[in-house]
Amino acid sequence: MQLQDHLPLQLHLHEPGLHSRPVMPARGAGRECAESCMDYLTLELVHHYRDAQQGPSLQAALDAVGERVGRQLAERYARDRPPLTEPLEAMKWLCKEFWGEVFRKPVDNLRTNHRGTFVLRDTQFRWLWRLAQNQMPPQLGLSLPPAVPKTELAADYLVLPCAIVRGALAQLGLDCSVAADAASLPQVDFTVVLAGGGTGGAGAAARGAR
Amino acid sequence: MGCFTFYIFNRKGRCQYYHEWQRLKPVRQGAGSQEEDFKLMFGLFWSMRALATALDPKNPNKQQMGAPQRIGEGCNFYSFKTSSYKLHFLESPTGLKFVLTTDPSVGSMQEQLQHIYAAMFVELVVKNPLYTPGEAFLFEPFSAALNKYMRTLGLLS
Amino acid sequence: METINAEIFTLTYGSMVRQLIADYEDVEEVNKQLDKMGFSMGQRLVDEFLAKSKTQRCSDFREAAEKIAKQGFKMFLNCQATVAGWNAEGTECSLILEDNPLTDFVELPEQLQGLKYSNLLCGVIRGALEMVNMDVECTFVRDVLQGDEVYEMRLKLLSSSPESYPFKDDD
Repeated sequence: MQLQDHLPLQLHLHEPGLHSRPVMPARGAGRECAESCMDYLTLELVHHYRDAQQGPSLQAALDAVGERVGRQLAERYARDRPPLTEPLEAMKWLCKEFWGEVFRKPVDNLRTNHRGTFVLRDTQFRWLWRLAQNQMPPQLGLSLPPAVPKTELAADYLVLPCAIVRGALAQLGLDCSVAADAASLPQVDFTVVLAGGGTGGAGAAARGAR
Repeated sequence: MGCFTFYIFNRKGRCQYYHEWQRLKPVRQGAGSQEEDFKLMFGLFWSMRALATALDPKNPNKQQMGAPQRIGEGCNFYSFKTSSYKLHFLESPTGLKFVLTTDPSVGSMQEQLQHIYAAMFVELVVKNPLYTPGEAFLFEPFSAALNKYMRTLGLLS
Repeated sequence: METINAEIFTLTYGSMVRQLIADYEDVEEVNKQLDKMGFSMGQRLVDEFLAKSKTQRCSDFREAAEKIAKQGFKMFLNCQATVAGWNAEGTECSLILEDNPLTDFVELPEQLQGLKYSNLLCGVIRGALEMVNMDVECTFVRDVLQGDEVYEMRLKLLSSSPESYPFKDDD
């Protein structure tokens, strides 16, 4: 991806002192469920819209589903903290706290060109680590079918997480587009491009949204 | 070298997964073809359970030979041993059948087959979005985990 | 079992239901789709349940209902159901939930009174039991979102078939 070539800054998220706030607010408190519930539900969501004869496309439907979820989760998680006034601060919060809750571990690496483009690298993206091509030949004795690029295998399953990320940032006042690159699965790179190059800053917009 | 072959059958008798670590006698000299080998294997454990149940000296409600049963009724069959190999068997209530053949000296593999079911089949096959329940599969992560586990058990060098 | 914060699941489910309402504009059809999606989920999820609970046998409807209520709901949703209301033949019973995480943040507006919001659960139960050769009907008959005291799913065994030899004898 050409973009990565001119990203000058690397922010290591594990630097000490950066994230000292408690992860969860009290509300919805304590209730847990099996992670598998989410595995089966997200899988079924994709299959439902992939096979649906009518209604919106998979992309359109899961965009809408994910964006709502992202907004609601961000609203909950960010409720008890001071507003994030800079896009960079918002991105750091997303990578550490939001990601940690939703995708079970923080983003491993965040890079930016300081002009509104951010690349979030999750080296073990939890929602897709089990994805593998079925290499069973159509008939016994035949050779293995050719490998399908991972990007292609993962495409349908990345619509929902991308939309969740977009929704979360929108809730913080940052309009953006989000695209995922799964060529090196289970590593996934999420590229966030802020609308207007991120010059507006999260603060003004976020305060507007509250 | 302790393990020879491994099969998973679905509830309709179809072989969903097959792996051989060591098969000195090729299938061609045995059942004839791989398809035929699967069918013989299925017939074997099917009959084993039916026979074992019919001959059961303990259960007062014993079934007529060939009477239809629900999975888990009658006698569960775990393994048999011959002079050259041992066959280990686990059946889930959903009708999945796991079969492992090993050297005859190997002890009970019930817990190990249960582990393959719970930790490998469920996690790496059932939860793989690209798996269609009941259909044949060959997923690299599952095969890798199976091989690794066999090495851990000392059945594979 | 690995666990997560239930609100991620609950909110995703809620957002999905909302989308289905937009897609179909007919609550009956939404109820049907939720049941259908649940059915597919149940067909996958049943093996995780059986494998992790080390259940070797699932041949008796009474036992199966108890297992779903006591262990199934616990394992996946971290709540418990009770089994009640058996009919004389032992082919029908109710699963009663006092607490249902799916509805944590939900209130139904007037115009959605016919919506069986948690219908996915019926589908899951139906799908899971189908995999152990039990055909059942499962429907919500009481729902807190509709003003009832508890959630109640009525479970009815239609048929329970033995395993049959899948090949012809002369095959």
